[in-house]
Amino acid sequence: MKNIKKEKKTSINIANLLAPIISSRDIIDILEKFIKRTDTQSVDLDFINVKFISRSVAHALLLMKENLRTKKAISFVNVNKDVAEMLRAVAANRIVPKSQKPKFNPEKININSLLKEALT
Amino acid sequence: MRKIIVPKPKNDSLLAQLGSLYKTFMSTKNKEDLEFDLSLLDWIYPLLILPLSAYINNTHSTYKINSSNRIKTYLETINFPNGIDSISSFQRKIQKHKSYIPISVLRREEGAKRERLESLFSEKVYEILGNISGAQNAVCYPIAELVTNIFEHSKKDVGFIFGQFYPTKNYLDICIVDYGRGFAGAYKEEKNLKLSDIEAISEAMKGNSVKPEKERGYGIWTSKKIICDVLNGGEFIMISGSAGLVSGNKKERLVSFPNFYWQGVIVAYRIPRPTGVLDITPFLE
Repeated sequence: MKNIKKEKKTSINIANLLAPIISSRDIIDILEKFIKRTDTQSVDLDFINVKFISRSVAHALLLMKENLRTKKAISFVNVNKDVAEMLRAVAANRIVPKSQKPKFNPEKININSLLKEALT
Repeated sequence: MRKIIVPKPKNDSLLAQLGSLYKTFMSTKNKEDLEFDLSLLDWIYPLLILPLSAYINNTHSTYKINSSNRIKTYLETINFPNGIDSISSFQRKIQKHKSYIPISVLRREEGAKRERLESLFSEKVYEILGNISGAQNAVCYPIAELVTNIFEHSKKDVGFIFGQFYPTKNYLDICIVDYGRGFAGAYKEEKNLKLSDIEAISEAMKGNSVKPEKERGYGIWTSKKIICDVLNGGEFIMISGSAGLVSGNKKERLVSFPNFYWQGVIVAYRIPRPTGVLDITPFLE
């Protein structure tokens, strides 16, 4: 009978290390430093109890995963529906970036006219 | 020290609050030390109170208010003007005053603690709005994107956030402020583009990021869309330098503010209480 060697893996609880709602890109630097200090090649980022991540954080996570791919195999586990959707949307945009810039055609108005509206 | 009487907004609309903010700072010099007289105010208007808090924290300015003024107690409850910057203080405040959110000061060097404080703020906002299942993404997204911009772009290490619910009217105002370099300053320093404040706001809204990655630059635009479109009639105001963007009621206006200058960025928005699931996925890609 073959002995199946179980690959060693580190699991990092993201809500405990960072926060249950993660918004700022620079916070992922903390995570990256933590990952680099692990002694296993496989690392699971456990998103249990993470309720939301911003688009900026999703982007930073995907970049980090790419940058570390030669040294660490990173997986995102226990992601809720909202977090999964954010990661998927940002990943899709990285592969096929938006070709059209947002439409922005504002009216120009002077302050006095604008403030008159506040009185109506 | 010059004394400035802060005028009471004509009503509680965001535009009226903007009017009071404009009149407060009109003809003041940037970073001038001032004494703000709040005696005319009868309510805590976020678009007025949070910039005042940020300004006082970044200068040697002070404020005064009559002891008989009914908002004096509210100002103490929300920790005006210093705000609170620790998780334990925030938790104590919201335990004691369940329907108020204190002014929160986010400091870059706090790292994960800062993130947890912001997390508490977002969760409190969501709770006050009724913890509506399926709406958390829409509520959290603008807060997250607009706060991260402070630490990505302003070149300042401190941000200010505040929220105020109007219980009889079922909407909530959020204000996010920094005292940093502003949009024009960011485009000048990062891309060597000399833009007026109006041009700089326009560039930011068109998704032209100062960062090199092609897929960056959409945080403000998507936040505004979520507030104004997904959150069923929200309103959005953004001010930087001597210009601002006012969005809502299907209108989008750029406005110049003569004799006024805000060093940094102020974002204020109003969202009605959500009534059901809110889908933000069309705005994510």
